[in-house]
Amino acid sequence: MDDFFFSLLLAGISVGAVYALIALGLNLTFWTTKTLNFGQGSLMMLCAMLTVIIFSQGLAITLAVVGSLVVVAALGMFIERWTVRPALKSSGGSMGWVVSTLGFGIFLQGMAAKYFGSQAVAFPDVVFTAQDFVTVFGQYISLQYLVVLAVAVALILAFELFIRRTVWGQAVHAVSLDPELALVQGIPVRRLILGSFMLSSVLAGVAGVLIAQIGGTVDPAFGFDLVLLGFVAAVLGGMGSSLGALAGGLLVGVISKLVGGYVSTAAEHGIAFALLMLALAVRPQGLFGRPEVSKA
Amino acid sequence: MLELRDLSVHYGAVRALEGVSLQAAPGGITAILGANGAGKSSLMRAISGIAPVVAGQVLLDGQDIIALPPPARARLGVAHAMEGRRLFRQLTVEDNLRLAWSFGARREKLAASLAEVYARFPILETKARTAAGLLSGGQQQMLILSCTTIRNPRFLLLDEPSLGLAPIIVQQIYGFITDYAAKSGIVVIIAEQMAALALKVSRQGMVLRRGRVVLAGAGEELLRGRDGTTLAASYL
Repeated sequence: MDDFFFSLLLAGISVGAVYALIALGLNLTFWTTKTLNFGQGSLMMLCAMLTVIIFSQGLAITLAVVGSLVVVAALGMFIERWTVRPALKSSGGSMGWVVSTLGFGIFLQGMAAKYFGSQAVAFPDVVFTAQDFVTVFGQYISLQYLVVLAVAVALILAFELFIRRTVWGQAVHAVSLDPELALVQGIPVRRLILGSFMLSSVLAGVAGVLIAQIGGTVDPAFGFDLVLLGFVAAVLGGMGSSLGALAGGLLVGVISKLVGGYVSTAAEHGIAFALLMLALAVRPQGLFGRPEVSKA
Repeated sequence: MLELRDLSVHYGAVRALEGVSLQAAPGGITAILGANGAGKSSLMRAISGIAPVVAGQVLLDGQDIIALPPPARARLGVAHAMEGRRLFRQLTVEDNLRLAWSFGARREKLAASLAEVYARFPILETKARTAAGLLSGGQQQMLILSCTTIRNPRFLLLDEPSLGLAPIIVQQIYGFITDYAAKSGIVVIIAEQMAALALKVSRQGMVLRRGRVVLAGAGEELLRGRDGTTLAASYL
């Protein structure tokens, strides 16, 4: 196998797994409220930025990451309470939340640019440096990519176990199917929604740190493209499907890296949206979107 | 004891309930009767907390719960089988039961509760891994009843349990409801269009018409009437 092809493939799979992570976060709030938090991109940026800043104060890198995730989780709750809930209440069923979540994201981006500067800052090496690699069958494999892949896959598995095996995961599923019935059955829907925005923001935060680790730098505009790529992955796989998020993420990651490598890096992100248009035309329910099971 | 005092429910300009009062003591069934749109469902939804109450009180054992959100009311023991056979249709039969149990009173272990349900309705055990949406109407109604009773409620609200079912199934369902009410000694309220059916098993009944109480009394009395025409007249 060609070295160049192989390294592109590995890079694609690694970033694809991170896109899948973002897509899972989008799915989660979609399940509980039928809304997507388009402020995710800024949360990714903020989490990576804060990690850099806390780390630069001389704290341990793990502490910096955890601290940033806590901040981002709190912001997730804030977003639910102050951007999504009022939008849903005032305009029952319409799309006001698109503007309000996106707007809050732009606000965060602006604040970050004001206080941290709009220059890209170097992201510290968490486990390995960009020069570390192992050799398997004569192929160089970047350890950073491997770690990112491992963390993303581990989180996806943990998330799936949580949703499938725990009562709270089942409750999330129940809310997505029939919120009113869930309320009447004593499921604390309000708290579940708040929790879903918190967890979804944490997933975005982790994704931000992982991407920043691969890219090596982070700036205030970082994350905007990424959440769109996560969105493409979610729609491509079938909105609301976890397996779809993984498949969609990998597909977007690999194809965009291959196009970036063989055609032009300028086409790297464009191709993802071409995929999106193609998917919407040919299979609008997504790869793993299922029709409803129902009788009478 | 469940008590409604001057309860009014409005959906915008539509007045679904106007000043309805009711007392339902434990250990007996109360039938809420009336035609389509009379306000039966709104009354139940007001009790479980998902209808816009504009005035009045809902009291559970003397405690006014009007300010409590639906999950808090469910925790106080209100179980509501909503109209239209509401189930989590994509979830399996057993997942529906497990979920209902998980957020209920949990007086027994899950396994014991499930065994009790399956002993009562063996078909549900056969279909345990089937999506609830794929069950027949009668089986769905059995599952809904089981989902409400598995929570060990203190106030059971059943909205049109006979709707769209074959007579033989209706008998089975009503047999279960009567047994359960007698055995558990809780407050049971049934909304029903088939008046005779519900009144036969009820201690008391109430007829609603356009959101107002037009007739109330003991079940027996409503069923027979003073001259056999009272109940029919209240529908006209």
